[in-house]
Amino acid sequence: MSLERPDTVDDGAVERTPDELEALLGDLVVDRDDHLNAPGFVIRPDTVQETLSILKEQAGYDHLSVVSAQEYENRYESIYHLKKFDDPTQEVSVVVPADKDNPVSESAEPVFRTADWHEREAYDLIGVEYDGHPDLRRILLPETWQGHPLSMDYDKDRPQIATLPEHANPLQEHHKDAESDTMFLNIGPHHPATHGVLHLKTTLDGEQVVDVEPDIGYLHRSEEQMAQNGTYRHQIMPYPDRWDYISAGLLNEWAYARAAEDLADIEVPEYAQVIRTMGAEMCRIAAHMLALATFALDINGDFTATFMYAINDRERVQNLLEDLTGQRLMFNYFRLGGVVWDLPEPREEFFSNTRDFLDQLPESIEEYHNLITSNEIFQMRTIDTGVLPPEVAKNYGATGPVARGSGVDYDLRRDDPYGYYDELDWDVVTEDGCDNFSRLLVRMREVEESAKIIEQCVDLLEDWPEDERNIQANVPRTLRPDDDTEIYRAVEGAKGELGIYIRADGTDKPARFKIRSPCFSNLQTLPEMANGEYIPDVVAALGSLDIVLGEVDR
Amino acid sequence: MGTAPAQLFPEFLVDAFGIDSVLGDVVASLIGAALVANIILAFSGVAGPWAKRKITAAFTDRIAVDRIGPYGLLIIPAAAVQLLAKELIIPEGVDRPTWDLAPIVLPASAMLGFSVIPMGRIGPLNIHLADPEAGLALVFAFASIASVSLVMAGYASNNKYSLLGGLRAVAQNLAYEIPLIVTAMSVVIFAGTLQISGVVGAQTGTLVTIAGVSIPSWYAFVNPFAFVLFLTANMAEIGRNPFDIPEAPTEIVAGYQTEYSSAYFVLFYLGEFVHIFLGGAILTVTFLGGASGPGPESISFIWFVVKVWGFFLFTQWARAAIPRVRIDQLIEIGWKGMLVLSFANLVLTAVIVGVIA
Repeated sequence: MSLERPDTVDDGAVERTPDELEALLGDLVVDRDDHLNAPGFVIRPDTVQETLSILKEQAGYDHLSVVSAQEYENRYESIYHLKKFDDPTQEVSVVVPADKDNPVSESAEPVFRTADWHEREAYDLIGVEYDGHPDLRRILLPETWQGHPLSMDYDKDRPQIATLPEHANPLQEHHKDAESDTMFLNIGPHHPATHGVLHLKTTLDGEQVVDVEPDIGYLHRSEEQMAQNGTYRHQIMPYPDRWDYISAGLLNEWAYARAAEDLADIEVPEYAQVIRTMGAEMCRIAAHMLALATFALDINGDFTATFMYAINDRERVQNLLEDLTGQRLMFNYFRLGGVVWDLPEPREEFFSNTRDFLDQLPESIEEYHNLITSNEIFQMRTIDTGVLPPEVAKNYGATGPVARGSGVDYDLRRDDPYGYYDELDWDVVTEDGCDNFSRLLVRMREVEESAKIIEQCVDLLEDWPEDERNIQANVPRTLRPDDDTEIYRAVEGAKGELGIYIRADGTDKPARFKIRSPCFSNLQTLPEMANGEYIPDVVAALGSLDIVLGEVDR
Repeated sequence: MGTAPAQLFPEFLVDAFGIDSVLGDVVASLIGAALVANIILAFSGVAGPWAKRKITAAFTDRIAVDRIGPYGLLIIPAAAVQLLAKELIIPEGVDRPTWDLAPIVLPASAMLGFSVIPMGRIGPLNIHLADPEAGLALVFAFASIASVSLVMAGYASNNKYSLLGGLRAVAQNLAYEIPLIVTAMSVVIFAGTLQISGVVGAQTGTLVTIAGVSIPSWYAFVNPFAFVLFLTANMAEIGRNPFDIPEAPTEIVAGYQTEYSSAYFVLFYLGEFVHIFLGGAILTVTFLGGASGPGPESISFIWFVVKVWGFFLFTQWARAAIPRVRIDQLIEIGWKGMLVLSFANLVLTAVIVGVIA
């Protein structure tokens, strides 16, 4: 089996029982609040940094997946979901209650850089204030927004009127003092290289970037709140398709399916798991093809042939997905406990189409290598630009091809197996270059691995006995998970760790639905990659991050 | 081969109509200029809205324009109407006379370059307006004016992207103009003249005959090294991949032309296309034997068209396939690589010509 991870035994990898952890933290723990996925330790709001430091440095929890905040009747609460990059099945939640009237909690930013944006989001949407945060501003909503939309006393009818002088126009600020000879440049919100509505506040010294600050939120659609207003059983599943809408739909659906199925204790039939695995990997190929295509646009300029070739290949896999799900963009194919329908009839045709695609794929990949990765100019442009050292990547919570391009061997499909992945033969791809080129190579090689997975799934499905083709488990019409059960579950999306935190309150709708978007965390690393480089390198770095603003802003 | 000095086109008109006076010269020159200008405009008109799309589509497995007219050819008038009908948006704070002049200077400078290019014959007509003794120097001078236009546009637009584009254009042209001209000088050393008809005339002989196929003594065959150098520098001069840095749409939006719309936009694009054709024409006369080719002399215009369009095709091919270099890398290539190589080529050529010939 190729899924065995190489033995890297260090202190961090040693698994500690919850009680050992509690002993390690000692007086810091004031209570226990275990979640379905992990032990939870309640701590005082002024000991966040101390607790997280101990967990990070002494117990090896080096990955802050997400910070999810919420408001209760009597308190605010921030939860730090910690994992290990070496073994993401070892999880721990640090629960930080904050005062209802004065919700102040210590910032985790000095311990985990990734907390910067996550805490800004929690402040923006829920209203928890983080003491010691370097830059506690709103992140998704405009600076002038009144109220915190996910807090309990939020008045949605209150008019959001900001007078013109109040309404800071980020494009018109005067960024010049007498001393400086730098130039401030707004890249975006509408710019050919931002792949969506992203605004990069860039300070230039000539052509060199002194500072770049991503300004996000232009595509914020209240996805979390919409999910909180939908019932578990049917009304939430269509939303994930709209996060990473670049054909990664099934991967996103799986994130919700996994969290909700574990929450409601639903067993998915094996046959459905194989179909899910196959569909998800098709989505990954489609998503990576688009990443490759747009990266070629960024490096080669428009009119590049690589873009159209990759779009063409994506089209072929898109056709397969259309056959499978009936949709081309918003698949809505997964159901809790299975998938919505079986493979299309005639099955032989679907299998042969899939095999045709897989047979042609190596040739295409060869062509991409000829066109871009083996081109000297392309290498000149991408090797050693946009460098992201592995330690920095981990500190920022980067996952997916971005982390694997920096040599961080972290892939939830292998490390925290779900679906049918641990039964199949495939490899996790990593590259040690840490640069734009490595991230591209990781994606190209992952396409090959995905093809291997699809091929094995097709083999399995072809031979599956007809009377055992169970696509759907028995799931109650209405799901009401027990009150106050909480879970955080993640899958390996196209861009990295896509996780969902759900708190159930005994009703048929989630009380809190938090999305951990890989793009959100990955985008945070952009300044690390871009500062000191040239404008074209910023564009290349952004392209190699492969962000989808629908997922960044949710 | 080897013909008597050909009669220039205006002279032909003067003779044909018997208008041998100062006024007659002026009228004949204007008619000649109108003909050449229309040939070039027709090239650009076909290239911009139609050929470019078709060529790019062929490279990228697409079909491109095919809805209007045979092979989609009527897209040309349709695009003309569409582009001219657009509103001309004049941004606040643009530096008015400069901003308006820039889109005129670019096509005008490139068109001027064609005044000294011998474009071959159609029947008795020798399409060649003027043949000054310093023709080659003149054509490079005209071609270089383009950079001035780019700087004007970049600086006058009151837009940071335009400014960056303008600055890049200057840096790029400085880095490439010198290798370009120095490489062209090696041709001058071979030909012993700056007069373009002389340079073309010097390439009419046969270099070598292999198995019955005679290879003409075009400088591309005589000195392939200089040809490659010149071709590369020429790509930078006309700003096409891998050197489309002043525009670089995915980096600085559209560089110097970000703020231009409607007729000004058309003029810029016209200028760019004329510039590509001028680059092709310069390459043709200096390295590809001008308008010469198989068949009778009277159809040599066809060969000229083939060669210039061949160069255009090459630029589009590069555009579809080659990544763009970064501005600092380009300057390094220009000053540290091309400049040294072009001088080495010049000295070597001088030594060879001086010792052997």
